[in-house]
Amino acid sequence: MSSKEYILQNIKRNIKTRLDKPKMDVLGIQFDHLLSQFVDICKAVGGDARILEKQEDVNILIKELYSQAQSIGSNLPEITISTFNPDDLDDPHLLNGTDLAIIKGEVGVAENGCIWIPQNVVHKALYFISEYLVIILDRTKLVNNMHEAYRTIESNDSGFGIFISGPSKTADIEQALVVGAHGPKGLTVILT
Amino acid sequence: MMSTQHSIAAEKFQEDKKQASWHNETLWFVREKRDRMSKSLPEWEELRTIAEKIKLHSVSNLDIYLEEFSKNAEANGVIVHWAKDAKEHNDIVYDILSKHKVKKLVKSKSMLTEECHLNPYLIDKGIDVIESDLGERILQLNHTAPSHIVMPAIHMTRQEVGELFEEKLHTEKGNSDPTYLTRAARASLRNDFLTADAGMTGVNFAVASTGEIVVCTNEGNADMGTSLPDLHIAVMGMEKVIPDHEALSVYTRLLARSATGQPVTTYTSHFKKPKKGGEMHVIIVDNGRSEILTNNEHIKSLNCIRCGACMNTCPVYRRSGGYSYTYFIPGPIGINLGMLKDPHKYTDNVSACSLCYSCNNVCPVKIDLADQIYEWRQNLDSLGAASSSKKMISLGMQFLFTHPTLFNTSLKFTSLINWVPRSMAFGLKEWEEGRSLPKFAKESFTSMWKKGKIKTIKKDEQ
Repeated sequence: MSSKEYILQNIKRNIKTRLDKPKMDVLGIQFDHLLSQFVDICKAVGGDARILEKQEDVNILIKELYSQAQSIGSNLPEITISTFNPDDLDDPHLLNGTDLAIIKGEVGVAENGCIWIPQNVVHKALYFISEYLVIILDRTKLVNNMHEAYRTIESNDSGFGIFISGPSKTADIEQALVVGAHGPKGLTVILT
Repeated sequence: MMSTQHSIAAEKFQEDKKQASWHNETLWFVREKRDRMSKSLPEWEELRTIAEKIKLHSVSNLDIYLEEFSKNAEANGVIVHWAKDAKEHNDIVYDILSKHKVKKLVKSKSMLTEECHLNPYLIDKGIDVIESDLGERILQLNHTAPSHIVMPAIHMTRQEVGELFEEKLHTEKGNSDPTYLTRAARASLRNDFLTADAGMTGVNFAVASTGEIVVCTNEGNADMGTSLPDLHIAVMGMEKVIPDHEALSVYTRLLARSATGQPVTTYTSHFKKPKKGGEMHVIIVDNGRSEILTNNEHIKSLNCIRCGACMNTCPVYRRSGGYSYTYFIPGPIGINLGMLKDPHKYTDNVSACSLCYSCNNVCPVKIDLADQIYEWRQNLDSLGAASSSKKMISLGMQFLFTHPTLFNTSLKFTSLINWVPRSMAFGLKEWEEGRSLPKFAKESFTSMWKKGKIKTIKKDEQ
């Protein structure tokens, strides 16, 4: 008998009562001003958020925010300041040394600053290996809470997807918060 | 013997008063952050209720959900393995690693691999195993074990970490600035991420309906560890399976708020398919879990989502430290999991509880932790683990309380005890330790009442 069969038989024998699936239809917290709540929470989780004005150019804004960045990776056609297309690389290891990555998010969650990113680049390492990260997000794609977010992304079929909320961080040394553990040391969400 | 291993170790922990009080206050601060987060959501209690019910439902249908999960994961191209126990788990891991000729493995925190003693097993076989969570890495360099499941190095001072890094990572002498030390670890670990042949992660949630595994971290180590090498091995305790995304939305809201008082972890990663050209393995581990299903009193311990909130709130944990427990998971949940693992080996820990019930009240999945510890205590005698001197005291009290004449006679002489050295009065040194004796009154209430010395106060005099 395989271990799988053995384990499943053991479970079946040991279960005494089977309980029904509970109703999970939680409404969840609602916000009067989704956009301002989202901007506030992005800052609270250690990142930043900027609303792009109609007349503003996203490339100029990013250049202003990250004037030091030399190596800028993005596969987005509207990003003209990128110095390379990360999808052209054969090996994700070559992404090491990226100063700034500019990517697109799909859904923003106002309760916690999460942004859903289905894998939309060849090497997902880009999201984590770059020193700084910019996520571009359509301001009409904001939802109140995680219940709404998961309902929105239910049909997602990429092999990898991630909610990112703020830059990488740790507090493992005496509970002192340090931003930039392994991943980006800073994160700006640009709401278009 | 009266003193438990826990109380001896706790006493040792308390010797460094400054550090012990820092430990207590810091964890209480995290508990307060958790309170603020919970109060910011009007639906908090509703979430806890649903989270408990989802777990009870999934655990009571574990066979169905595990089959659904493995079927969907396999359809996504993931290779699923089943391990009866720790040994089989370790063998499967090694088998995969050796097939791929892996020399270096980067790990993201998984308490399950700690449970299975995977690291020494792999290191013995010549594999370079690197823990990538900063706290875990510090402990690995220090050759010590975690003392908390979410804040593994909470017991160490920044100076201790500074000295350790000086020796191992050649940082500046005397520099113990957390940002400086974190940057040094970042540089060193980035080199490991770039040179590793495989990445291993734990699993926070396994979603049956999609076959995904979900991993939550703040540092991004699970992602760095799995997005560079082609091989990803994920290991999960079988109780991690939940029905669907709707259930997942409930737990992602509870986990970080309960654990660290954050609104969510920085990264909530959903691994569904292997990397293009790579392999993804999931190992489903039993290791005693299926036996807990028969145990009505303790079945709820399978609800645990490993947030550590019970540790942060526990007055005993905060003042005794994680190392005072003999099981590798400390605090209220660790006491229970240890007893389920081996009640003879881990009995000592059941004394590490004041039955204040705070853990019950903060647990996001409503595990009745304190009730379970109470149950274990009631059964100590049948385990042959009850303390003989405590039993003697209890029997003595029982005898006295059920014999009124003797009780009254002894009361007459209680005030004499004020003049007797304590060790003579009780003759049980260990019982006295940590217990201060009240000053006995010269005359008992009963005797004063009988002599009319107690004045009744009329209502209008109040």
